[in-house]
Amino acid sequence: MIVCVAVVGHQNNPLYIQSFTDADDALKLHHIVHCSLDVVDERVNNPKKSGPTLNETFLGLLYPTENYKVYGYLTNTKVKFILVTTDLDVRDADVRNFFRRFHAAYVDAVSNPFHVPGKKITSRTFAERVSTIVKSFGLSSAG
Amino acid sequence: MIGVGKIKQYSNILDKPLSKGKQEVSLSAFAFLFSELVQYNQTQVDNIAELERRLEDAGYAVGARVLELLCHRDKGNRRETRLLGILSFVHSTVWKVLFGKVADSLEKGTEHEDEYMISEKELLVNKFISIPKDMGTFNCGAFVAGIVRGVLDGAGFPAVVTAHFVPMEGQQRPRTTILIKFAEEVLRREARLG
Repeated sequence: MIVCVAVVGHQNNPLYIQSFTDADDALKLHHIVHCSLDVVDERVNNPKKSGPTLNETFLGLLYPTENYKVYGYLTNTKVKFILVTTDLDVRDADVRNFFRRFHAAYVDAVSNPFHVPGKKITSRTFAERVSTIVKSFGLSSAG
Repeated sequence: MIGVGKIKQYSNILDKPLSKGKQEVSLSAFAFLFSELVQYNQTQVDNIAELERRLEDAGYAVGARVLELLCHRDKGNRRETRLLGILSFVHSTVWKVLFGKVADSLEKGTEHEDEYMISEKELLVNKFISIPKDMGTFNCGAFVAGIVRGVLDGAGFPAVVTAHFVPMEGQQRPRTTILIKFAEEVLRREARLG
């Protein structure tokens, strides 16, 4: 079950945070996303092995907490996508697929001429597309 | 009679097979739009430098979005961290998407370490524009310079980009050169990466 998705700009400013649970723990999710940004920076600046992994867009599992898993994805413009999920057995391919569709929705939202880069994404279409992607992710990995 | 024509059109559109759609926009539509953009800005400003700055700002917004779009479409894309990498990206991929062909040439400046030039025999945006004599050295390629600046800035290579006319012997119209001057930190980072 995906709990939260977030888009963070290149200066680590939040552009879009959306949680998908009924519980009222938005603050805890914000905190988890914030901590995962440190892990992203560490991965970007100190690569484990230089070479092919230096420029990879999909960062993989960032860190597991007590009942959440956090995945990261970095685009060319240093914009980060963070995914927080409670599933225990997510396949790598599913997460990559999710991020690919999320990236497509993000590019469409940014191409809007009225969107100011650096400000929060306020497009309703983007929010709807994200909800659709999140719902279909839950269904595909359950089967 | 007109109604009959319309109905025919409708059923045709529904019967047409779904296609990916044309990737091209008509050149004349773009030329009209660009000329209107220049004229609108001309009424708002008093001098040439301000006009050039406005065109460049318009191009900057386009450049930022083009970078996001291209990085997503280019599957398996790696993030460019090297100077030459991002320059060749602008020179081939960005030019091909925007203008349908790669830029004519990419050169390194001889005087300063941080200058690079992309030159083009005839910039698409300048194709239908002739500059009046009293505008001096104004170049509508400032729009393209803005696009390049937007792409470089989004990728993490802050630079100052300008467009210049370079007269060539044997040709009537001068060649257009986009001059890219990278910021200090880019050169330092490049030296550090080795």
